[in-house]
Amino acid sequence: MLSKLMVYIAYYLNSSDGYKKGKSFFYDLLENPHSRKKRIFDASMIVLIVLSILLLIYDIEHEDSVMGGYFELAILLVFILEYLLRGWIYSDAYKIIIEEYEKALYLNIPFKMTALLKRVVAKDLEYIASYFAVIDLLALLPSYRPLSILRVFIIFRLFKLFRYSTSAKLFADVLASKRYELLTLLVFTCFMVFIASISIYLFEYQADRSNIANLFDAFYWTVVTLATVGYGDIAPQTTGGRWVAIFLILVSLGILSFFTSILIAAFSEKMLAMRDSRTYAELDRYASFIIICGFGRVGQEIARHLQRQRQQFIVIDKAERNILLAKQLGYLAIQNDASKNEVLINAGICRKASDILCITGDDVVNVYITLTSRHLNKNIRIITRANRHENVSKLYQAGADNVILPFEVAGMLAAEFLGQPVAFEAISGILQEQRDIAMETVLVAENSPLDRRQVGQLDLRLRKLTLLGVISANTLHLKHKNKYKVKHRHFYFNPEQHFVLQQGDMLVVLGRKYGIEHFRSQMEQPRLLPKVRT
Amino acid sequence: MKNIAIFGYNRLSYEAINRIDTESHRIMVFDYKPANIELALEKGINASMTEFRSDEDLKAIGIGSTVDTLFCCLDEDSENVFLTLSARALDKNLQIIAIIENPEAAEKLLAAGANKIIDPYQICGRKIHDMLKRPDITDLFDHTVFGRNDLNLAEVVVPEHSFLHDVHVSQLELSTHYNLVLVGIINKQISDQMHFVAEEADRRLNPGDILVILGPSREIRAFKKDVNDEFCNI
Repeated sequence: MLSKLMVYIAYYLNSSDGYKKGKSFFYDLLENPHSRKKRIFDASMIVLIVLSILLLIYDIEHEDSVMGGYFELAILLVFILEYLLRGWIYSDAYKIIIEEYEKALYLNIPFKMTALLKRVVAKDLEYIASYFAVIDLLALLPSYRPLSILRVFIIFRLFKLFRYSTSAKLFADVLASKRYELLTLLVFTCFMVFIASISIYLFEYQADRSNIANLFDAFYWTVVTLATVGYGDIAPQTTGGRWVAIFLILVSLGILSFFTSILIAAFSEKMLAMRDSRTYAELDRYASFIIICGFGRVGQEIARHLQRQRQQFIVIDKAERNILLAKQLGYLAIQNDASKNEVLINAGICRKASDILCITGDDVVNVYITLTSRHLNKNIRIITRANRHENVSKLYQAGADNVILPFEVAGMLAAEFLGQPVAFEAISGILQEQRDIAMETVLVAENSPLDRRQVGQLDLRLRKLTLLGVISANTLHLKHKNKYKVKHRHFYFNPEQHFVLQQGDMLVVLGRKYGIEHFRSQMEQPRLLPKVRT
Repeated sequence: MKNIAIFGYNRLSYEAINRIDTESHRIMVFDYKPANIELALEKGINASMTEFRSDEDLKAIGIGSTVDTLFCCLDEDSENVFLTLSARALDKNLQIIAIIENPEAAEKLLAAGANKIIDPYQICGRKIHDMLKRPDITDLFDHTVFGRNDLNLAEVVVPEHSFLHDVHVSQLELSTHYNLVLVGIINKQISDQMHFVAEEADRRLNPGDILVILGPSREIRAFKKDVNDEFCNI
């Protein structure tokens, strides 16, 4: 009966949207490293902890205050709530129940409560035993006033601070990454301390004016000397003892420099990753951005244009020189191999990236990045550079939306320029928007006044606009002449006066930017429909 | 018929050679590297061996006399600068176009007398940026004007004694008479800036005006023929 109820509840929770929403809200708040909520939560928790510690210390020196008591109680409640919530989002008990139940159904065996409870409890214990959960629990203790010995646990409340800042985690990571070296050093140091303590004890014990009265004194002296602190409260008096000191000092210099070099090496390795993670964090704030893989001449040119138009982008390149340049120019940049899944995922290819440009000088790399990107994101637009003709089809096959050959483009332009220099300069000036004249498209939207209107009826001349043609995928237009195939659509050049526009068509017009903008804004407001129709 | 001399055979000049309208241009390809000439011959391009360092050789191929346009497409920026300098010394009015590898070379080439600099990387970057910003227009131009489709950009100079003389721009009606779109008018004597047709409907055409038009090549040819025909009147 009870087990049936549990299974029922589990299925209910599994289908409940509200429950999942609530859970994901708390996940964002407490654990999700990409969420804004977590950042705010972390900051307020840090403030709360510092306040509570100050209060506890105040209480140690003064009489327990009533207000302080209430405040402490409030903080305690927050801590307990946080602890429980973390436990809640740590695992999904209902999923375990469903899994067990379906397994039992499938195997046609009775559904056993004990095995199930064992698994659920094991999961909970796993949470309780986790490093931060233990600290959380211990940090609750100093709130219990009657037992003042528990105040020692304020230390754990201080440790709790680390939970909310990434720097502590980073330091722990650095130490962990050099675990083997540090362990070796530790073992060696222990041996040294042992040998030195015993020797100094043997030489100095009961010697004249000696301060070493027992083995602990010898140990204390060894550590103080080894750390190059040397208080001088205990100093060797015998010749043998001094030899031990000389020997110990020389060795300790080696140990310390070895230790420092391990830490520095680990930090400098980690520094790169840390800088990258800051870059990623910055990216997270943008609504959408473009990923540029390869920061050669082409990449630099694109970045310059994007920067001018305040478009957000991130540069990924393997070469240190290029990344340095990008950083000097103030761009977001990561020195890494863009063909790795991990790098692209970190750069947000599955989140907010709208386009990816694979424009390294090596076609092999470009194909690989294209393939990786397409695999990771089906909808992203991929523009790729091909350096050799024979690779164009390979790049399309790998999933590129557009492939560009630098030499072809330049050759094409050179030919145009050789043929008609004046006209070419004029049109490229327009295309590059060097002046305020532009060529743009105006969409015939649903309910637009343009829908089902004849081209001849548009008062384009009055608006000081020139109509070059219409881009359309509509098959109704196919009877018209002057059509040019452009990908899956047709471009109808210089349409006749009786050309009837259809929804989804795009007018290609030439004119002043604000003229086109004005035209577009009027045509995209359905409210004006009756007025224009008259 | 314009004579175009192209120095340096490589991927870039190959693309350019393929796209130049051979009906109105005569193309000559030169290189000083035997390997490049062999490659060109393989592709069916009649390239010949010429040493660009020698003024005599340059004169022999017609620079300073018959050649109208010089396209410096050699591999090294320094070679292009040298060629530009030599050619400019031989002919003040030669149209010189040069490609560059390193952006710093642009100033040097302009100082040496080049009329137009082409930076392949810059163009490529700009192109990709265009694709991001206005994919429709970029696709359109790639497939028509710059592509294989028969829609071309052309410039037509208004000659003396033409029916175009003193005609209002608005009366031209190129779109109905010729299936052409008039984009703009430039008068080189006044400025390099293009006057935009839709804004200057009242403007009268003068000899020396250059009309920038867009359309199929047959229509362009017909229009050019009529413009140069003194007795034609539409």
